[in-house]
Amino acid sequence: MNELFSRVIRVQWSGLLAVCILAVLALTIVSPNFLSEYNAFVFLRSLCVSLLVAYSQMVMLGVGQMNLSIGALGGLVAVIVGGLMDAWGVPTLPAIAIALAAGGVAGLVNGWLTVRTGINGFIVTLATGSAFAGINLGITKAIPFYNLPADFVAFGNGRLGPIPNLLIVPLIVSVLLVVFFSRTVTGRHMLAVGGNSHAAELSGLSPNKAIIEAHALSGLLAAAAGILAVAQLGSAQPSIGADWLIISFAAPIIGGASLAGGSISITGTLLAVVLIGLIQNAMVLLQVDPYWVTFLLGALILAAVWLNRYRAVRVGED
Amino acid sequence: MGLLVEQASKSFPGVRALSNASLELADGEIHALMGENGAGKSTLIKIITGVHRPDGGRLLLHGEEVAFHAPREAINRGIAAVHQERNLIPRFSVAENLMLERLPTSRGLVDFAAVEREARKMLELVGLDIDPRIEVRRLSVAQMQMVEIAKALGHRARVLLLDEPTASISDNEAESLFRLVRQLKAQGTAILFVSHKLEEVLSLCDRVTVLRDGETTLAGASMKGMARGDLIEAMIGRKDRAVVARHRSVAANPVVFEARGVATAFGHRDIDLTLRKGEILGLYGLVGAGRTELARALIGKDKVTSGEVRIKDQPVRIRSVEQAIRQHRLGYVSEDRKFEGVILAHPIRSNIASTVWNRIAAALGFITAKREDRVAMPLATQLEIRTPNLDQLAGNLSGGNQQKVSLAKWLAAEVDVLIIDEPTVGIDIKTKGYFHELITGLADGGLSIILVSSDMPEMVALADRILVMHDKRIVAGFDNSHDYDTVSRSIMAAIHAQSGESVEKPGQAMADATA
Repeated sequence: MNELFSRVIRVQWSGLLAVCILAVLALTIVSPNFLSEYNAFVFLRSLCVSLLVAYSQMVMLGVGQMNLSIGALGGLVAVIVGGLMDAWGVPTLPAIAIALAAGGVAGLVNGWLTVRTGINGFIVTLATGSAFAGINLGITKAIPFYNLPADFVAFGNGRLGPIPNLLIVPLIVSVLLVVFFSRTVTGRHMLAVGGNSHAAELSGLSPNKAIIEAHALSGLLAAAAGILAVAQLGSAQPSIGADWLIISFAAPIIGGASLAGGSISITGTLLAVVLIGLIQNAMVLLQVDPYWVTFLLGALILAAVWLNRYRAVRVGED
Repeated sequence: MGLLVEQASKSFPGVRALSNASLELADGEIHALMGENGAGKSTLIKIITGVHRPDGGRLLLHGEEVAFHAPREAINRGIAAVHQERNLIPRFSVAENLMLERLPTSRGLVDFAAVEREARKMLELVGLDIDPRIEVRRLSVAQMQMVEIAKALGHRARVLLLDEPTASISDNEAESLFRLVRQLKAQGTAILFVSHKLEEVLSLCDRVTVLRDGETTLAGASMKGMARGDLIEAMIGRKDRAVVARHRSVAANPVVFEARGVATAFGHRDIDLTLRKGEILGLYGLVGAGRTELARALIGKDKVTSGEVRIKDQPVRIRSVEQAIRQHRLGYVSEDRKFEGVILAHPIRSNIASTVWNRIAAALGFITAKREDRVAMPLATQLEIRTPNLDQLAGNLSGGNQQKVSLAKWLAAEVDVLIIDEPTVGIDIKTKGYFHELITGLADGGLSIILVSSDMPEMVALADRILVMHDKRIVAGFDNSHDYDTVSRSIMAAIHAQSGESVEKPGQAMADATA
């Protein structure tokens, strides 16, 4: 029994999986509506943007940095893609491509500034985040773009039974990220720099290069999240991204990422997003004031970090 | 010739770390680099590995002058260093760590089978029998060290620097390390072996270079016929510095601090010491003897596990540094002034007044610069802290002036007993003399001082009584006659008598080598 226990807790996300399963069971019993096709669709759709947002921060934690500009960057990309399609009449796919590129470039700027100035990335992205938000509001005057191509909006609302079309994007991204971090040289080098940047440098790697690459990838993922949010809402709201900060940190951390860098879990992050989604869904079904979700998220982060600490001691890590 | 360092000098603000130091490292030799703390060893290593650039002097590699701007350049030229702090990625596998900068790929993805294959070959080179797939953090310190050596060899290192490789591994593990080092030597690698352990240096190395106060005191001397005493003398120096030796009489003063049979979690046993009012009690020992650790236990930073500590004839249990200062007026000047002595980002006045903030605060806990100055100004004047004003940040001061601030803090707290740990490490000889006068003056004023030092001339000049520490025990104690030759001889005799017990093993290692 003890051996089984210790073997199970060795898998970082095993606890999360158990909690998710328990939550689903509990919700099914308490609220028959939970498994209804429409509620399942709403639930799954709520995960899509969150997953990309979480991955965007997870990448930064992997390289041992943080990105506070994810929300502002996603918001800026959202109005860029909306503006291109609405005001400029650019077709859907080119508009998406340009918007993604803009996100990647914004990420590069974050990375370049961090490396070049030597200022803590936390401060750099706090500043650029404010700048991105400023550009966003300057362009839009806080007025959304509503006239989006029908195919784009249809994709955002479409579903196959309870499965939203949108879910395809984060699922593909999840698989790509797993491959990227476990099997590509660039991905391994990012984690090496996050794990011990000094050692990585003495091995002949360039920590600066890894940090810039991670910022670019983070920007790309935040951009994808912004575009997905537009598709889901059916309009490009300048306020998109304003509430992403907490979940961007909560999910990777609950998923087992180390704040010291170099250790992340894509499966863990995915399960954490699912768990947070379940909590939000439960609040709706049980008609609890949604503002309490924010409180619960905070408590959950603390609990997760504390549990990870306990697990680390138990397993004999660190 | 493998590597030649000619007349290298390096200064940091306020201290000359190296002056005209030379090192001659031949291919296929094991060359020891020795010296006490602050002698300049690490500065020399950092110059060789491209971390620091020398202010003066030349670096020649295989006869060609080189100037490294970054560690990578040194690595690329075949100079590899195994530092004391481990330089591996803890959560990566051994194999990946070994191959990190040249991960083989197939179709764009890392080919882990190939990584493992290559890693196995590298591990074989050093004779380390472990599964290359396990994560580095699961290894023992000795295994990590071997992995680092394997990695260095993978870089085709022709020059290998081992910085205190045996500091944290067992004797058995050290033996297999020595075997490997000898094997590398046979293959023509130039090996620089930094160590404090006399026995292993004597049995393992071919030649030795010793640094003291940034200067070379033994330059590539052959180990043949070298005795332990010769090395110690080269490291700690002779009576070649001006000392303020003065006989003081404190034997009649009351005892203010006493330890009886103290043991600590660090491994000290049966520590007895008695400190009288106004006395300077010297605690001498070579690096690793456990002096600093004992000081930390006495002030409540670490745990005293058994025995008794008495202050002014009262038994006390000191549980925290705060309690030591507040209740018992016991202070500690750390040897590490940059990290433990002063707050570099704070002005001088706050640094000095920090121990008495409670006392000088106005109603509601307000502390003003004026209130701090009232305490700090007289001390700054008394200690001659050279600065335009007390607003100056401690970080901008020279090492010597930082040390004065660190000392002033405790004088402000009006402690009765002060433990001063290596007060003049990294401080140039001129300022050293000033500190010696200062410490004697403080004792004359009634302060009781435990002086922890590995600087022999300093010890002979200042202490009234000297306790000799070796391997976490006090092995001798005698009154200081201030006669350098007799005192240093007695101290060395006490240390030799102890380390003589463990001569067996290195002797055996020698037999291995010649067999």
